[in-house]
Amino acid sequence: MKPENYKKLASKYEPKKPVFKNCIRAFWTGGLICIIGQAVSYFFIFFFNFTEQTVGNPTVAFMIFLSMLLTGFGVYDRLGQFAGAGSAVPVTGFGNAVISAAIEHRSEGFVQGVGGNMFKLAGSVILFGVFSAFIVALIKSVF
Amino acid sequence: MKKWALTILLLAGCAPEHDGTVILETADPDAVQLDGKHDGFAEKIKKEADSIETIYDTAVIKGKDQLLVAYKVRHLDRFKMKDIEKDLDKRIQEMESTEEVVVSSDYKIFLEAVRLKEDMEAGHLTEEEANKRLSEIIKLKKEMA
Repeated sequence: MKPENYKKLASKYEPKKPVFKNCIRAFWTGGLICIIGQAVSYFFIFFFNFTEQTVGNPTVAFMIFLSMLLTGFGVYDRLGQFAGAGSAVPVTGFGNAVISAAIEHRSEGFVQGVGGNMFKLAGSVILFGVFSAFIVALIKSVF
Repeated sequence: MKKWALTILLLAGCAPEHDGTVILETADPDAVQLDGKHDGFAEKIKKEADSIETIYDTAVIKGKDQLLVAYKVRHLDRFKMKDIEKDLDKRIQEMESTEEVVVSSDYKIFLEAVRLKEDMEAGHLTEEEANKRLSEIIKLKKEMA
């Protein structure tokens, strides 16, 4: 059987992806994470000496730390299964990517396992984030 | 459910005496003048700022040498933040203000301005201390730039 024919045949029996349902789930969960982030930033503004301009750093740090903790407890993984991109796209998804890779490879040792694989998923985010920030800063300083 | 209610109650108890809703709701605090004059200049500035359609809440504090105008912008107009700031700054300069004028749309600056006004009204601060706190708020505003 040709691969094209096999694909056609297989697609008949594949369960249909609930795209609309997944989008709704991602929208609500992602929105909920953003509401939590907003509440955290208001908390820092209200109780500490952070302005709207400077509150971004502690808020992002807190959200990443929270998602790391929840990943360790196994809560964020379940949330990820339910919401998909809704939980992966916000900054909390970054924390989840780091810790889940570390947990997965802990049996291979602390240095080569955890250390070597911790940034396997999140490494590309850091690399392209730093690189694009460098390019933007370069453009801003030239013009 | 009981645990959640208890946690919320405990957290609410941790809140300072200042009303936290200042950030979320319209507070419309009266203008404060700390320079000892009673010419109503701060009130005039507040009226001028309030006359701008895109602004819905203003806090004005006039110190000895500094004038702080903190304001909140309607949500959908936040795309035009820089234009609004420019417009407000221009209007204040035209009112022949001799002080150092600081305008800010930052919630924290607004909150601190309201806290300063409340502390003044409660009699917790002398005029000198209030002027010092105003300088600190302005310093905080400049920190972010």
